[in-house]
Parts: sequence; structure tokens; C-alpha cells
Amino acid sequence: MADGLGNRLNALRAERGLTQAALAELVGVSRKTINTVENGVFVPSALLALRIARALGRPVEEVFFLEG
Amino acid sequence: MADASDIETADRLSRRRARILPVFAIIFLSQQAAFISQQVEGGTRTVDHVKTGAWLILSIVLLLALTTGGFWLWRKSVRDLLDDDVTRANRGAAMRTGFLATMMGGIALYLIALFEPVGGREVAHLLVTIGLAAAVLRFGLLERRAHKGG
Repeated sequence: MADGLGNRLNALRAERGLTQAALAELVGVSRKTINTVENGVFVPSALLALRIARALGRPVEEVFFLEG
Repeated sequence: MADASDIETADRLSRRRARILPVFAIIFLSQQAAFISQQVEGGTRTVDHVKTGAWLILSIVLLLALTTGGFWLWRKSVRDLLDDDVTRANRGAAMRTGFLATMMGGIALYLIALFEPVGGREVAHLLVTIGLAAAVLRFGLLERRAHKGG
């Protein structure tokens, strides 16, 4: 299975005028976690993906998608 | 729930940890030059026991820092942020590297022991050093990468 996990975190965060630290506070995680998820370095758990989507006020499939 | 100040503090401490751990791993490895020369010379002087004691203390501190994340005196909300999903994943990868390095070191020492007698204390010292240094170095480098681009 070659699918990777893509995300629109950067664009959605910018749309809401949130910094990585501000989004981290809304989600309740470290800024490093947001940074690594946004840059595709870390694949979030289902729980974390849902929490990020909720903090951005979007359905999870709008924030994360399968690549490839 | 973490507030903005906790997130800022955790970010600062996490960056510090990412900078410091690889340096500690290198210091830890560089101490081994003294250990090897001590073995060659016999190593029964008081200074040799001090060096071994220093190695033992640093080994325990590094092991605890690696397995718990460190910063034990900070409040729980900050420690939780310092031990988040990414840190745990990086720690898991670092532990795998440490395990692999220890196994390879064990195999190498086994082969050496076929030709040259190696004492149990020396074997334990070398395996702890190899495994711990590899794991701490990898953890530090992964943490540094996690902070890049933010």
C-alpha cells in the first residue's frame, strides 16, 4: 500500500488566521506536533486527526486526504 | 488542558532537549577513550574508579532522560506536552536504533571473544555505551528534525 496522508493544514490554518502555536493550544498539543503533522513528518493518530479537524471547524476528510 | 504559556514553555524546553541530547551522546562516547586506555593500563587507581562512577551516573541520567523525557521538576501540563505523540514516536524509533546497535555490538564482541578474552564487565560497559549512545543520538536528531520548518 503506497498511499500517504496529505493534509491542508497550512491553508486552513492561514484561512482562520491561526499560528501553529494558536492551533496547538486549541487542540491541546505541542506546537511541534502541529508542525510535524503539517509538514508530513508525522502521521497523526485517528484521535489527533479528529481533534485537529474539530479545532479547525472542518470535517476530518477536508483536512486530511490520501495521497497517491 | 494546556494554555499558551505551557505550549510556549514546552516548545522552548523541547528545543533545548533536541539541542542538548546529541551533545550528551557525543560526550558519553568520548568518555570511552578513557575507559579503553584504563583497560590497557589495568585500571585500578582511584581516578579510574572515579571515571567508571562518572560513566555509570551519566548512563543512568541518559537512560532516564530517554525513557521519561526528562524535565522532572516541571508541572504536569508541561511534561505532558513534552511527551506528546511525536516525542513518543521518536522515542520508539530511537529505542529500535539502540536495540539494533546493542545487538550488533553483542555480535561483534562475541566474534572478538573467539580470539581475545573479554571480561564480563567490559562487555556490559561496551554494550550499555553502544546501545544508549545510539538511542540518545537518534532521539536527539529526530527531535531536531521535528522542530525544523516551524
